[in-house]
Amino acid sequence: MHPTSPIPRRECLKTLSSGLGGIACAMLAAEEVGAAAPFLHGGKPRAKRVVELFMTGGASQCDLFDYKPRLEALHGQPFDPGSGKRVEASISTPGAVMKSPFAWDRHGECGRWVSSVLPYLSRHVDQMAFLMAMESPSNVHGPASYLQTSGFLLPGFPCAGAWISHALGSLADNIPAFVTLPDARGLPYNGRSAFTAGFLPANHQGTVIKASAPQPISHLHPPADRTDITAASRAEGLEVLRRLNALHGEARPGDDRLAARMASYELAARLQLSAPELLDLTGETAETEKLYGLDQPETADFGRRCLLARRLLERGARLVQVWNGPGGGSLNWDNHTDIPRELGAAAKGMDQPAAALLLDLSRRGLLDDTLLIWTTEFGRMPFSQGSVGRDHNGGTFVSWLAGAGIRPGTSFGKSDEWSWKAERDVTTGYDLHATILWLLGVDHERLTFRHSGVDRRLTDVHGRVIREILA
Amino acid sequence: MAPIRLSPLHTATAPSGWPRGQTPLERQREMAFIADSRQAVATFGITLALPRGSMRQDTMMEIIRRRGRAAWQQPGNGPRDTTVRSRRRAILRLAMLGLLAATVAGVAAADTPWSLEPLSRPAVPAGASHPIDAFIRARLVKDGIAPAPPADPRSLLRRLHYDLTGLPPTTEDVDAFAAAVAMHGPDRALGAVIDMLLASPRHGEHFARHWLDAAHYADTHGNDHDHARPHAWPYRDWVIRAFNDDKPYGRFVAEQVAGDVLFPDDPQAVVALGFLAAGPWDDTLMVGVREDTVDHLMSQNLDRDDYVMTVMSTFQSLTVHCARCHDHKFDPVSQRDYHALQAVFAGIDRADRPYDTDPALHARRRSLLARRAAIEHRDAAILASIADPAEAARLAAAATSKQTRADSFDPIEILAITSVASAGTVHTPLPDGSWLASGPTPEKDSIIVTARSTLRDLRALRLETLADPSLPGGGPGRYEPAGNFHLTEFSVAARALAPGDKPAAPVAFARAAADHADSNDPVNGAIDGQATTHWSIHPRYGQHHEAVFHLAEPLATEGGAILTIRLDFQGASGHQVGRLRLSACGPELAPADRDPVPQALAALLAKPAAERTAAETEALFLDLIRVEVESELASLPPPEKVYAVTNDFAAQGSFKPAKSPRPIRILERGEVTKPLEEVGPAALACLPDLPADLFIRGDDEGARRAALARFLVDDRNVLTWRSIVNRVWQWHFGRGLVESPNDFGFMGSEPSHPELLDWLACWFRDDGAGSLAALHRLILSSATWQQAVTFDPHAAGIDADNRLLWRAHRRRLTGEQLRDTLVGLGDGLDLAMGGPAVVHFLAKGKATFMPDGGAPAFLDYEHFPVDAPAHRRRAIYRFVFRTVPDPFMDALDVPDGGQLVPVRNESTTAVQALALQNDPFVLHQAGRITARIEARGDGDAIDALFRHLLLRPPSAEERVLVAAHAEEHGLAAAAHLLLNTNEFLYLD
Repeated sequence: MHPTSPIPRRECLKTLSSGLGGIACAMLAAEEVGAAAPFLHGGKPRAKRVVELFMTGGASQCDLFDYKPRLEALHGQPFDPGSGKRVEASISTPGAVMKSPFAWDRHGECGRWVSSVLPYLSRHVDQMAFLMAMESPSNVHGPASYLQTSGFLLPGFPCAGAWISHALGSLADNIPAFVTLPDARGLPYNGRSAFTAGFLPANHQGTVIKASAPQPISHLHPPADRTDITAASRAEGLEVLRRLNALHGEARPGDDRLAARMASYELAARLQLSAPELLDLTGETAETEKLYGLDQPETADFGRRCLLARRLLERGARLVQVWNGPGGGSLNWDNHTDIPRELGAAAKGMDQPAAALLLDLSRRGLLDDTLLIWTTEFGRMPFSQGSVGRDHNGGTFVSWLAGAGIRPGTSFGKSDEWSWKAERDVTTGYDLHATILWLLGVDHERLTFRHSGVDRRLTDVHGRVIREILA
Repeated sequence: MAPIRLSPLHTATAPSGWPRGQTPLERQREMAFIADSRQAVATFGITLALPRGSMRQDTMMEIIRRRGRAAWQQPGNGPRDTTVRSRRRAILRLAMLGLLAATVAGVAAADTPWSLEPLSRPAVPAGASHPIDAFIRARLVKDGIAPAPPADPRSLLRRLHYDLTGLPPTTEDVDAFAAAVAMHGPDRALGAVIDMLLASPRHGEHFARHWLDAAHYADTHGNDHDHARPHAWPYRDWVIRAFNDDKPYGRFVAEQVAGDVLFPDDPQAVVALGFLAAGPWDDTLMVGVREDTVDHLMSQNLDRDDYVMTVMSTFQSLTVHCARCHDHKFDPVSQRDYHALQAVFAGIDRADRPYDTDPALHARRRSLLARRAAIEHRDAAILASIADPAEAARLAAAATSKQTRADSFDPIEILAITSVASAGTVHTPLPDGSWLASGPTPEKDSIIVTARSTLRDLRALRLETLADPSLPGGGPGRYEPAGNFHLTEFSVAARALAPGDKPAAPVAFARAAADHADSNDPVNGAIDGQATTHWSIHPRYGQHHEAVFHLAEPLATEGGAILTIRLDFQGASGHQVGRLRLSACGPELAPADRDPVPQALAALLAKPAAERTAAETEALFLDLIRVEVESELASLPPPEKVYAVTNDFAAQGSFKPAKSPRPIRILERGEVTKPLEEVGPAALACLPDLPADLFIRGDDEGARRAALARFLVDDRNVLTWRSIVNRVWQWHFGRGLVESPNDFGFMGSEPSHPELLDWLACWFRDDGAGSLAALHRLILSSATWQQAVTFDPHAAGIDADNRLLWRAHRRRLTGEQLRDTLVGLGDGLDLAMGGPAVVHFLAKGKATFMPDGGAPAFLDYEHFPVDAPAHRRRAIYRFVFRTVPDPFMDALDVPDGGQLVPVRNESTTAVQALALQNDPFVLHQAGRITARIEARGDGDAIDALFRHLLLRPPSAEERVLVAAHAEEHGLAAAAHLLLNTNEFLYLD
């Protein structure tokens, strides 16, 4: 760049970047980066935005989507997958084979088996593509969750949303690119590291919206007791600040950070103006509120956040993450003790709102360029832990996708006859990330960032675009 | 060119059993090597692999050359460099980005990265009196660039204060400095301030922040069960002290790797080991997950990887950890080298480690522990001492007194026993003074024994648990069928019998000993206040057992005492004592004689001395000495603890200490399920003139680390000295001479001034004797550091990035600097140093912050009171919670301890703007600043505000602007505004 010229767009991008910080430039960037960006694969992006529903704790594939008649036949017998195969449970001693306590039925034209705990989602299986044999290298919540969020088993690496923010920015100038909506009952495993920007600039980290808190976005407004700070005083203050900074900057040419910082205050002001409208659900119809289950205590929190996710996507967010369940050993999908009770409750809280989001996006036409993902960190064992619980199983689990670029009504992959290990067309978190990026127009092998001597990728040295489920 | 030796094409691939898709290995099979291409090596210093049959080799070379040229001739980014090395770097980068249809097959081994060239001291160029300026200017002259003039005194002083202490000067400091410059000239004035700041303890606090970033230090484990590390802080304090004491760098490094071994007389050298333990640790994987799982093995492997990465990145500036799954793709580090380094750390784990602050106490405990270890190992010197007649006589006397010990315990009369559980258990006295339980066995129980002791000076209590045919398996426990018990807690309250004495008071125990205990359940578990530990007599059922509880203080009473003794059985179901008896002893029985005789020895003691075999005598004597040592150890005050590395800690779940270093095998593709051959410990093999062999053959864990530490601080280790001077340079300039401080390899950046770097490394090692203070003085006294932040279009046209240092860099305050500045200007800093981390959040509900708490954590930073005293401590003492960082600090790029952070990000975001505008803490400090100014009440408030915050009076225009705002919205609003200005946040 020539130092005396006004801040060129690319430089502004570099300094201010995208995400909550650099939204103004981001829009310009989306087109401008264009062919020049080495990480774009060059094809037409199928998706503009992504919403991810994350089932905290390891949702049991063999009680939701992966129907195995063999478990019913062998129920109560010792689990014996055959000679030479080592059965390894992470915190318990392997128990007897345990069939799913729920009824199963085939649904839709595709004939997808779904258990009776998901009556709402089962109506939409013809829109979904199922990854029936996902595999995780870890059986433990922390690392397995990191893998699904950041592509590494260890802390400190940027999450998928941060990478997407870094690469593509937001679609609007008053919405962050990466927004995350944690469960009202607590943060997921790994706390806020589950939305970290790692070594990417801080503006790419997930903007946390605590949907039911009095102050949903940290620092968005002054503390409630500071009534002396008004919209007018803020606006006047901003004007004085602009002039003080201008005086300071005049004597200091050649440093675009100074102007960028003033721009960040203006972006902040725009965000302050737009956020109340975003968070205000009163404009939604009674039908919509009912659709998302806001009228029932079991579904109200997740429903509110799913609805908020739709509003964020409508307004230009790139990736919205909605967490179902907090970390820890209860109120989530980590059902070690009692599958009928614990998983039943988790499913009840998730099913209707998730289906509502799918339906709502679809009828608003948003699903054409929005990718919806339902995933978790790993699955559960086909044998029992204690009497009716199940231990962690990285061997196989299920995720599904719907919307932009996805071939509807498909399944890819198959687990073994017990739903113990992935057997055919196995996919991984790396593959899921590679596919998400591909649909957004990004080649996962070329989206890199140099950190501590290594060009890092979201997919580490792995990942394959799962073309079999693409339309 | 030397003969080309190629490392094979190495690839990183997926974990086991992931055959799908095309792995890099499979892709490799489709590649044709052009390993014989002299042309490629000569041009790029590397060999390339091309898609098989894709095109002619020379065509490919042309394409690579064309694309490569674009990469290495990019305009703007600093001075041109068209060496083979820079071409190679460009090609490697293109290849990694996937922009070449070729894979890098190997780096010609005849070539090494610049950092591994031998280190010798270059001659200082002519042209400037200060060596740094001489090197910098000699380079500037080549491009016809003139250096910037010196910064004005106010900017210079502000920069200097932040650079050395992380805190701003006061407006009075600025005035005094300007006067000193006028009177003594800039050099003397500046020198005096540098000396003053280096002598201030604030400087250690400031540099410790840099170091803790690099070491990825935090106060919790991280990961999903993010437990607190309540004893991490002594290491943080050690770092602060090391900088304040100007500990020579070699010693600073050595202590952090092997202080316990190399400096055993220095109690603080153990604390330095907090460095190795600073990084994250996965509690679930290490403790909770079963030991026999792949997950657990993998976590141990990654734990060692963290040691290797931390040590090698920090002290050697090499990315050795890239060779975990395959030979390093670019640098001369093999997978074997990597695993040899893992072997150095194969015997340690992260755990709390005891240490003493008092050197005399440290020495005494050390000698006792050594004696205990010698007894355990049946050390020859100990065995020989038994043959010493005096020692033999002393021990014989001890043996005799032991034989009579049982008679020295006075029976305690049990008046009543009641069960807390209402199951209907019946307790009945027997003629021998013991009591027997019968009836139902409740799930859990506690029994209250009321007893009378006639001793006037009670020193120890003895609990006998007795076998009985009525009990399951013959007792002494009531658990079906084996007769075990779990005594979870043994507690006593005493009330003197004489009238008028005080009410019952709890009795504290110093220690306990038993004739037998399950190795996992020692008797101390019954007096540690924890329901999770207990005394168990597994597997010796159907026998009498006993435990002796030593009182911490003698229980002196005129006429004896009524004792209320509580025995808790709150562990496993039904594990209660079936038959028990109590007795006590006074001072007449020596402490060492009070302990129960271990069962194995009881028979020996019963034998007349003359009839014992030599082996029996030895066993007996060893035990007598052991008891002596144990009782003296127990009498010492408890040690302090530091979270460090050790091979001596209490096992917890799957987390167990390694008795000897764990065997390390090279892992095929880094997979723990695919071990190859075993490797022993060694250092880096790629250093010139410094052999990698550590000459360690045995199983001594400490010797391995000590040998590596010696390797690291060897004068011949070219990386160590280059690495640290570059880091210090970066701390002062915001950017290193090498911009990648943790990577001096082929993929890192090359030094902008290689001769200067080498000169500094030699000067620091030899002339400076590793004194960081001397290095600070040298750098800060240079005209280069003192330059102004100017702008010169001519220079910018040649070197926009200022790699050649034709001016100073403008730097933003870090989160800690900003925080400390705000507190200093507002509430005033509490300059207390050290101690446990200060918490700036409310821990709500079942938070992981509690030692026994579970996830998830509810940490509320938002409602933590803004006027809490904790806010006034310096930010270095903050409690850093890895998975739930402080949102204010987060917005200012303060790292969370997840990764090594050699260079911080400096982002400019709306989140940051919002934090500075709306954070209650910032608003509070703005109010306090105003209150101070108003309290002073001298003169113009706007003028005072500018001087207080920006260290200068306002211009006429500024005064009008800010005064109008203050008039309308109050002085605090004006103060808050100034805190948000660029001038406040940036250092010129």
